[in-house]
Amino acid sequence: MEDTEIINLWKSYDKKLNENLLLNRKNVEEIIKMKAQSLLSTMKPIKIFTVLVGIFWVGLGIIVLSNIYFYAFVEANKFFLFSATIQVGLTAIALFIYLYQLILIYQVDVSEAILETQEKLASLKSSTLWVARILFLQLPVWTTFYWNESMLENGNAFLYMVQAAVTLSFTFVAVWLFRNIKYENRDKKWFRIIFNGNEWNAVIKSMELLSQIDEYRIENQTKNENFGGVKKSV
Amino acid sequence: MVSKIEIIRQMENKSELFLSVIESHKGILYKIANSYCKDSEDRNDLVQEIIVQLWKSFENYDDRYKYSTWIYRIALNVAISFYRKENRRKEIAHPITDSILNFAETSSTDDTEKNINLLQQFISELKELDKALMLLYLEEKSHQETAEILGISETNVATKIGRIKNTLKQKFSSIKT
Repeated sequence: MEDTEIINLWKSYDKKLNENLLLNRKNVEEIIKMKAQSLLSTMKPIKIFTVLVGIFWVGLGIIVLSNIYFYAFVEANKFFLFSATIQVGLTAIALFIYLYQLILIYQVDVSEAILETQEKLASLKSSTLWVARILFLQLPVWTTFYWNESMLENGNAFLYMVQAAVTLSFTFVAVWLFRNIKYENRDKKWFRIIFNGNEWNAVIKSMELLSQIDEYRIENQTKNENFGGVKKSV
Repeated sequence: MVSKIEIIRQMENKSELFLSVIESHKGILYKIANSYCKDSEDRNDLVQEIIVQLWKSFENYDDRYKYSTWIYRIALNVAISFYRKENRRKEIAHPITDSILNFAETSSTDDTEKNINLLQQFISELKELDKALMLLYLEEKSHQETAEILGISETNVATKIGRIKNTLKQKFSSIKT
């Protein structure tokens, strides 16, 4: 099929649409009367609940831990204190990234050029993977917070070995996940198991879109450079 | 000071103008929604989302651009990023269940009709950005306007279109043989 045939085919489709397509004006009027949605109303209730629990957890953590640091540092169990600080700190960072990303996505101007807008949206959406990477980093501290000095002094070799094995394996898993949770591994089985569900599908999709954008950008740059090169040589 | 009546009149004029712009460009909305969504319910939600976004930015419409350029930018941006809405119906405050755009697709055995269906099928198989480019090409947008909508250079538009056209032609010829 030739170019003109394809164009003519599309024109005949267009003609048919012009003749038969009906716009339900009443529905459009209804849509424009609707109040603009707030960021909160676009979020699913479970997400709002999770974010609220996260804020509560971090808030409570900051209050409790800062009190211990200021008023009871000497007598405090350092295993608990440092483990909890790392846990609360990492959760706070993850929460901040998540909320910041949500706000920026909400503010993106969709009337900008497509590549620019899509790049912003897809980069922001794919940054959700950072939230997961950071949250996994806290795995080892869940194996250290319950320790105390008396366990250290009175424990036996078996206890030390089990504890060391558990903490080291959790650390290994945390670091491994932190390094390997990336787009390149999206087709691996372990990745698919961890990132299963609609929320993650959207993240994976956004990364696929980013690679499409890269293709367009690279080609754009190459063309411009070549064009510039020709101009310079002339 | 502007009176309340004057404000209401201005708002009514704005709504009327918006409705007439949508009316005269409804084909664009239909074609984009049809190319990006297979499911009819999703399609209706996508049209609704596009109209919401068009209305939101109608006030800031830059009249240096044609209405069609402005509509293409917003509609394609919304359609391409529609994947982010993991639970679409719930994310729309009051989803409108009746169709916003009504068009009776025919299942005619006519050759042109068959080819149109094939063309639509091939377009829907393209990647998101290629799909946008193809739609603009089929609408006979100039390379300059396509470049403005997509945000790439005109030379890049030409090369990309050439490639996608070849893919389409190959697909058509593989069906015919």
